[in-house]
Amino acid sequence: MTRLNAQGLSLGYDDRTIVTDLSVDIPDGKVTAIVGANACGKSTLLRGLARLLKPRAGAVHLDGVPLGGMSTVDVAKVLGLLPQSPVAPDGVTVADLVSRGRYPHQGWFRRWTDSDHEAVAKALEATGTAELANRPLQQLSGGQRQRVWVAMALAQDTDLLLLDEPTTFLDINHQVELLRLLRRLNQESGRTIVAVLHDLNLASRFCDHIIAMADGSIIAEGPPVDVITAELVAKVFGLACVIVPDPVAGTPIVVPA
Amino acid sequence: MTVATLTALRVDRRRRTVRSVGVTTALACTVAALFVLTMMVGSYRLSAGQVIASVLHLTDNPSVDFVVRGLRLPTALAALAVGLALGASGTIFQQLLRNPLASPDFVGVTSGASLAAVSGIVLLHAAGLAVCAYALGGALLAALLMYVLAWRDGVSGYRFILIGIGVAAFLDGLIGYVLSRARLTEARQAMHWLTGSVGQASDTELRFLLYALLVLLPAAVLLQRQLRALELGDDSARALGVRTELSRASLLAIAVLLVALAVAVAGPIVFVALIAGPVANRLLGPAAGGIAAAALTGAALLLTADLVAVHLLPVPLPTGVVTGAVGAPYLLWLLATTNRQGVGG
Repeated sequence: MTRLNAQGLSLGYDDRTIVTDLSVDIPDGKVTAIVGANACGKSTLLRGLARLLKPRAGAVHLDGVPLGGMSTVDVAKVLGLLPQSPVAPDGVTVADLVSRGRYPHQGWFRRWTDSDHEAVAKALEATGTAELANRPLQQLSGGQRQRVWVAMALAQDTDLLLLDEPTTFLDINHQVELLRLLRRLNQESGRTIVAVLHDLNLASRFCDHIIAMADGSIIAEGPPVDVITAELVAKVFGLACVIVPDPVAGTPIVVPA
Repeated sequence: MTVATLTALRVDRRRRTVRSVGVTTALACTVAALFVLTMMVGSYRLSAGQVIASVLHLTDNPSVDFVVRGLRLPTALAALAVGLALGASGTIFQQLLRNPLASPDFVGVTSGASLAAVSGIVLLHAAGLAVCAYALGGALLAALLMYVLAWRDGVSGYRFILIGIGVAAFLDGLIGYVLSRARLTEARQAMHWLTGSVGQASDTELRFLLYALLVLLPAAVLLQRQLRALELGDDSARALGVRTELSRASLLAIAVLLVALAVAVAGPIVFVALIAGPVANRLLGPAAGGIAAAALTGAALLLTADLVAVHLLPVPLPTGVVTGAVGAPYLLWLLATTNRQGVGG
């Protein structure tokens, strides 16, 4: 049993059920990618794992306790999430934004402490945004902004970090840079990282574990070499393709047939 | 982690704390000075010492006490309390809806209060405290209506504001209808109420507002932390461990109560709620969103408007006329600039 897992999970919005009877174990200390076609329920699953959506049925467990039974602040100390489209207040500076990640560690009257400063400083440096600390977020490039949002999630200082499509809207260079950052965070601190990703090749290259979804259920999961096959790509994305090994890392690459 | 980053962060944090405390203190001093000043001027001029001594019951001079405690203190207190309430309420609305246009003036709350008060005056021949009660009820009902119409799927700033403008227009139409049915004396009374003036508050109303402020303002300042997280969007706020629905409902309830009480006491004094938050933010630095500073800015604005309305103009005018005259150009400027930057909501 891993720290974060779901049993018999059903999730949906209003009258639509999107994920039905899904069970999954998120491997501890690894980088996991959730992949699948548009509208297959991958973001819904991530939101369910992060308690942003209440389960219709089943439950998500964190350290053996159902998420619904934990106080939301206690969850926030262990589990962080970077949503798909976070909103920045007008004119907010990088340092201000990143320090808001300390919310769950501060109380009604508690003052700003050394450990808060240290967590924010670490987050800024890990993401290479320390030099930007006093700049307004709106003035930064898309890639820089995304790193700042990751820094905010890091400042929360959680063992598990979920990211909803963190590479969308980034160019290839910034996508790779961000995934390298996640990889490094995982290797340096043993954080468990789960990201919803679109690019199968990048997911194979940078993640230890892949969960492939279609129509609200998991079709396959495991290491990239086992999961990314021509049959799976045909089944999940409806794309005929050839799988070749990455010339640099040997991980699978999807080439349309 | 390097020491340089840590030091830079500490310096930044200290600088911002100093600025926030400094600005808030300076605003409090300004408000105190304006508060005393409004009681000094008039046909019977007094010194600051006389006013302060009389308010604090330090001296016993019947003629000064009559002018200060009897005539000027209630108006000054009303301006102070209504200003604080409008300032705090406006900035909470603006931050909660992430839009500088989201002032209670525009989202129907004020119009609801006005319709109820005008109907009370015209149809039920109400006066005094009863009008205040109708206005309060009307504001709360309008807020409830907005909540039902616009709040179902959480808030998106523009949707809420557009529905608010629709509700306000509808209510304003009804006000026009009620006024057209009124007799001349009642219509005059209703129009006077509709202009908004801090001078019209009675002692009972004023005391009620002051007690409410003692509870609501500290509660709003305490919830500032949640508000700062809610500004990042619901998903981020929930991920940070905020109980979003509860926090938002509490903040909204406080903001609605504040504006409803202010309107009930002084009538619809426009634009103070719209301007106070952005002015305070200018002083505090970007995205600081201090509720205390915004409340004090509201009080300073309203005390100044009252000074101008009653003493500086050749003919004394209701406060609402002055705030409107200053606020309308600001609104135009706001609309023009937010559109250019494309960050209105």
